[in-house]
Amino acid sequence: MSLFYRQLRGELWKLFARKRTYIGFGAFLALEIVILIIFQIPKVQRSWRHFIERAGGGFDEYFSGLTLAFQVVYWTTFLLGGLYIALVAGDVVSKEVEDGTLRMTLCRPVSRVRVLLLKYVACLIYTAVLVAFIGVSALLVATARQGTGGFFVFQPLEKLFVLYEFWPGLGRYLASLPLLGLSLMTVASVGFALSCFNMKPAAATICTLSYFFADLIFRDIPYFESIREWFITSHTDTWYNIFRVPVPVQLMVEDYAYLLAVNATVVIIGALNFQQRDFKS
Amino acid sequence: MIRLHNVAKAFKGKPALHGLDLDVPRGEIFGLLGHNGAGKSTALGIMLGQVHPDRGEALIGGVSVQQERARALEKTGAIFEQPRFYDYLSGWKNLEIFSSFSAEVPRAQVEEAVEIVALGARIHDKVATYSQGMRQRLGVAQALLPPPDLILLDEPTNGLDPEGIHEMRELIKRLNRERGITVLFCSHLLSEVEQLCDRVAILNRGRKIFDGRWSELTTDKQRVRFEVDEWERAAAVLAEIPGVAFGGRAEVLLNDGAAVPDLVKRLVEAGIRIHAVEPARRNLEQVYLEMSHSGGEDLNA
Repeated sequence: MSLFYRQLRGELWKLFARKRTYIGFGAFLALEIVILIIFQIPKVQRSWRHFIERAGGGFDEYFSGLTLAFQVVYWTTFLLGGLYIALVAGDVVSKEVEDGTLRMTLCRPVSRVRVLLLKYVACLIYTAVLVAFIGVSALLVATARQGTGGFFVFQPLEKLFVLYEFWPGLGRYLASLPLLGLSLMTVASVGFALSCFNMKPAAATICTLSYFFADLIFRDIPYFESIREWFITSHTDTWYNIFRVPVPVQLMVEDYAYLLAVNATVVIIGALNFQQRDFKS
Repeated sequence: MIRLHNVAKAFKGKPALHGLDLDVPRGEIFGLLGHNGAGKSTALGIMLGQVHPDRGEALIGGVSVQQERARALEKTGAIFEQPRFYDYLSGWKNLEIFSSFSAEVPRAQVEEAVEIVALGARIHDKVATYSQGMRQRLGVAQALLPPPDLILLDEPTNGLDPEGIHEMRELIKRLNRERGITVLFCSHLLSEVEQLCDRVAILNRGRKIFDGRWSELTTDKQRVRFEVDEWERAAAVLAEIPGVAFGGRAEVLLNDGAAVPDLVKRLVEAGIRIHAVEPARRNLEQVYLEMSHSGGEDLNA
């Protein structure tokens, strides 16, 4: 087993053995169930009947597990996903500095760059696992309640109204999860980069969340419409585009290239700062 | 084993070390003594590459920490005053995680380190359930993985009860004696350094004010203690000799060429029975306090 793999395994062990991590997964599951319960309210269902029928589908066919799973993933990610990823990424370096465990690690003949690389990769893996958990658990819970059927993708802010049969819909749904994961990795990258600075873990998390909320709010202000592409959340939202027919591949590639550049830039800035720091009790 | 050459560091413009030079020979237990804030931890941080010096460099085993940190620290272990661990993981898992940053450590080596620090019965328990003494021992175990040639210890007995301090001291001595590990022991506790270390360097406000053996520190060749039958009469005889002053009861300070054989001769001629004449050994604590309040003056000079 290579040393890098052993070290990465240690990082992941540290991350996933924390009570907060697995309690977090429980919290996501609870939120998913709450959202599903809201979708059972007759008034809400009447609205859905209206939307589905206006899109040309039948309510009984398209108010299905897949349709609800997508809504659950969207809302869960919006309400909790970013928060949890910012919390984990904002903690990953700064909490270890605060606790003194990073100083123990830095007694070892390992470069700071390698320590950061391991932690960053662990953050990305956490993001991927979290999205996979949200996506799969939402699908299982929603299908258990609502059964299989067609897939109505409904995202009015993005002007997205598409009907799919079950299998093509399932394919698009599963394909959207890695893309959502890629989008959320930008939240992880910003949180991680701030965590490399000399600040409290909570400050890194709050700064990350504040940035993304501000970005989201400013993006949707009408007089910023002309510079919409300057906002990071305009690009992180590109994962919905997998549901469009046809899929705007070039736009998505551009968006993810933009996000990749953002990730690389912020992580390098964080690493350069970390490299310059003195660690002392 | 360790060489610091003209190392200086300031934090936010406030100097922490002023051109420190230090040589720690291989195989010794070397003490770095100083008040809190004297610069010990900064020096240690520079040796470990955790603190960037403003000038100078630290060499471990002849390799520059600033130029080739990974190679310099290949055979170095360290523990701090309160070693920090992942409390929610077991002691064993902590050892695996920390040692993985040095090399692939075989299970047998981890078991051996656990046995050395006598943590075998609790090693698979969560660190959160450990006492301070057990944490310190776990700290020593992680410093032993993989087996080092040098261990840097920063106030390792802080927070320990007397039994824990004794255990830690014996453990350090054993590691040095049986495994030939060089130890750099940083402390502000004079008695700890005195009991453990062959040689010592004393830091005060970022400057080295002494570097040498304990005996050199406590023995003042200019101060002689007499053991005689009648000290009052002896003092009267000695007072007549030029260059003699008195430093305390039965202690004589020699100045201006006054020599011990002359003093002994005069006392014998006066019929005073002499039982012993020896260099006076000053109280170590007194010496240390004198030195550390001397404003950073180098007493080796």
